[in-house]
Amino acid sequence: MMRNLLIATLVAAATASLGAQGTKGTYKVPRTPDGQPDLQGYWTNLTYTPFERPKELANKPFYTAKEAIEAFNKAVGGAENQVVHYVNSDFGATPVQTGAQPNLRTSLVIDPPDGRIPPMTPEAQKRQAARVAEQRAAGPLARTWRDDRGTVWCVFHDRAVPAVTAPYGSNYQIVQSKNYVIMIYEWNSERRIIALDGQPHGKVPLYAGDSRGHWEGNTLVVDTTNFNTKRTFMGSPGTPPAVDMTPTFHLTERFTRTADDTIVHTYTVNDPATWTRPWTVEMPMHTIKGPMLEYACNENNVDAFTTLRNARAQEAGTLAPPDRVRSVDDPKATVLEREEKK
Amino acid sequence: MIRVTLCAVVLATAVVSAQSYKTPRTASGQPDLNGFWQALNTANWDLEAHEAAAGPVQQLGAAYAVPPGAGVVVDGPIPYKPDALAMKKKYAADALREDAEVKCYLPGVPRMMYMPYPVQIVQSASTIMMMSEFASALRTIYMNSTTPPPADTWMGWSTGRWDGDTLVIDSKGFLGSTVGALDDEGSIHVRFLDRAGNYHTDGLHVVERIRRTDADHLSYQATIEDPNVYTRPWTISMPLYRRVEPNMQLGDFKCEEFVGDLIYGKYQRK
Repeated sequence: MMRNLLIATLVAAATASLGAQGTKGTYKVPRTPDGQPDLQGYWTNLTYTPFERPKELANKPFYTAKEAIEAFNKAVGGAENQVVHYVNSDFGATPVQTGAQPNLRTSLVIDPPDGRIPPMTPEAQKRQAARVAEQRAAGPLARTWRDDRGTVWCVFHDRAVPAVTAPYGSNYQIVQSKNYVIMIYEWNSERRIIALDGQPHGKVPLYAGDSRGHWEGNTLVVDTTNFNTKRTFMGSPGTPPAVDMTPTFHLTERFTRTADDTIVHTYTVNDPATWTRPWTVEMPMHTIKGPMLEYACNENNVDAFTTLRNARAQEAGTLAPPDRVRSVDDPKATVLEREEKK
Repeated sequence: MIRVTLCAVVLATAVVSAQSYKTPRTASGQPDLNGFWQALNTANWDLEAHEAAAGPVQQLGAAYAVPPGAGVVVDGPIPYKPDALAMKKKYAADALREDAEVKCYLPGVPRMMYMPYPVQIVQSASTIMMMSEFASALRTIYMNSTTPPPADTWMGWSTGRWDGDTLVIDSKGFLGSTVGALDDEGSIHVRFLDRAGNYHTDGLHVVERIRRTDADHLSYQATIEDPNVYTRPWTISMPLYRRVEPNMQLGDFKCEEFVGDLIYGKYQRK
């Protein structure tokens, strides 16, 4: 009963969204008191569309509306059929609660036309191989708080800019003044301060990059350079492995509100130190209900404490290895895990 | 037509209250507080009047010694309850362990406003963002909202309204300490208002009054109430100065980078 209701809601939402995707151009974008297109509010870019196009859809950049809804429901079903540590509904993290909607695109990467990230330069391939070798040599256990092995690194959340898929928490709050657009990303409360005043880029690197924006008609165009090279890009569930952020990384983005509940966000990544050509992603953003509370990652980072403590215990042979995340259908799932699923 | 009338009324009020200085307005007709602002005093060292003193880390010598200050408490001394004053002295002696600033935890309110880091205000008609360079601390001021705090947070829950040219912000819903499974290295038991151990608990309620006094200054006042700690509300007052440098922008002071080894050191592989 609950499940049927869920699917009915999904289909209704899907139809509305796909309709909005098809009516670009006729929508009258609301304006701020300063006369600028109004992007303000709370948005999510949570999506069930794959980052790169699956090989079997190589020549099919678009679904029909019916196929899009079917693909969405299938992906949602797959994401639901997991035993995780959280009861998703308690955290507002079920697909309906999160505001994710079906997408006519079969991949988020829209250029190159095959929907796949272009090859890396030979130099970047060497860098990546060295990275993999280094991680393998380091072993599976976190050595310090800096290791991304179950520890949560609170310095910067890489998925914020450039935007890539995340399993949850992919929410944004946008606030505008005459000279600034502020985008707060829920995970780690990462903020982007996009100056519209035409000043040149700053000189000191920033984790989220140094962003300068301007309006082209109804579209906010943002040019971002000078990313801090201590961070990485991608490496999120659904994306290729993390790559180094380099000093030549250049991001060009466009945000266009195409309906009351939709901003079409596209970005082009250009880094000759890593890829053989620029490539472009389209990530729709849909409205969600606010407010968005602070993330406060560093303030009570129990993950870092317990992961490091347990890693030392495991090295000392005093701790069993952790359980893997299992499907409810897994006969090894515990009673508690099955109960949580219900 | 209605908007024009409203603007006229608001402007008339401004003329009466601001005497010689006429506060500029945003396109929506609100007093314009946009910009980069910063305190220029020793309030983050000690809100109360204090002499210069040696700092808590001998090796840092004069570089981290306490500069003197006349204090920013209008109606001081801070009216501690007797047992709370005893606690203040205890916490002050253990400031390196108890002060959230040392651990790069969010500074809360009003402390964010007078830390030695710039605060950028970005103002829309319904929401005012205040962003500090320190720890990327962030306040969202919900204008004309009556929503109560949905949860206790480090930066609290702030609602705002305009009283003539003055922005009045009411903040509550503050966490009073770390909770849960952290060790001594990660724990703080109360929240410091400065490095001298002046503190509050989760009973904190702050009312701030902010207005422009001229092109490059804000008048900043905060009335601080916490029945767990003080016998009555008390008030701090100071100017905030505009950062007038061309190309001013907030840098990254993501200080988690600087405290990881301090907080998690004993569980790291040597």
